[in-house]
Amino acid sequence: MTPHPSDRLLPYLRGELAAAERAAVDTHLAVCAECRDTVRDFATIAERLARAPEPAPPIHWGAFRAQLHEKLDRRQRPVATGRRWSMGPVPATLAAGLAAVLLYLGVLGPGALTPGGNQASLEGEVLDGRLDVVSQLDLVQNLDLFEDFDAIDRLDPLAPSQES
Amino acid sequence: MERSDEALCRDVANREPGAFDLLVERYQERAYRIAWSVVRDREDAKDCAQEAFIRLHDAAGSFAGESKFSTWFYRILVNCCLDHRRRGRGWRRLLVWRDAEDEDQTSDLVERQPAPPDDPGERMDEDQKMSRIWEAVETLSPQQRAAVTLQCREGLATKEIASVLGTSEATVRVHLHRAFATLRRRVGGTP
Repeated sequence: MTPHPSDRLLPYLRGELAAAERAAVDTHLAVCAECRDTVRDFATIAERLARAPEPAPPIHWGAFRAQLHEKLDRRQRPVATGRRWSMGPVPATLAAGLAAVLLYLGVLGPGALTPGGNQASLEGEVLDGRLDVVSQLDLVQNLDLFEDFDAIDRLDPLAPSQES
Repeated sequence: MERSDEALCRDVANREPGAFDLLVERYQERAYRIAWSVVRDREDAKDCAQEAFIRLHDAAGSFAGESKFSTWFYRILVNCCLDHRRRGRGWRRLLVWRDAEDEDQTSDLVERQPAPPDDPGERMDEDQKMSRIWEAVETLSPQQRAAVTLQCREGLATKEIASVLGTSEATVRVHLHRAFATLRRRVGGTP
């Protein structure tokens, strides 16, 4: 007798075996009462499993779908929110940095970034020479420099008399 | 004419309004039932089924159409369930000595023993057997339960179950044979 074709008995029952394999199982079953019993019992169990009442506890499908959408929205929300957060500060920081550089250049003049020189004396010289700009500090602070860079170019023509 | 599951999945990938909801309605009960067969807990099964739908929503574009939609989706679902079980098992191992795999090995040892003589006096009647069959399924390993549910409730062929479980057809045959042998031992076979 051939070895028991144990794990081929279920595929045999379901008609999933190729012709040669099926023939081999048929041959074995013809001489093996133990496997015939197994096939018969497996068929009964498969039928019971198919017919037995649904074992999973019932749930409310409307609530299931609502909760599913809630979870889906929650998963998608952090991505969208994260973009807003990440896009916001970067341009603001860049603009602030750029404005600081422009303001520095505007106050110190184009040679301010050249290397060398005594910075303290340079600052003193600038303060002495450009006190008119510093005296307009209130005006400068009131200008929204971070949003309107053109104002920086027009700082010099702006006199305290124009303020009013 | 009703749109096929495969066409609906493509619609989900293209973010067509309503396509996702339609697929959910078609598959929600099956998804929950299969998830429950693996995790055996109402809330966990619901979570796993919902997670599978969320993954479907996100990955619909990767469905190549080489298999049936149901096979592709069940694979996502079973992976969710097995992931869930693996996450939980780490904790359970601290609390119990044996997990389902150990039990599986034990049952293999039992399987090798000769069958006890059949005692007609102790045999349950058919109704009792019907009601006890799913209780007996609970004693199987998660992979065995998934294979049994997919075959006996969802009607999947062994080849499809192999694709869902991400394993070979031979392994599925072994899972199913061991599962049926255990059920036969616990509930009996012929009425």
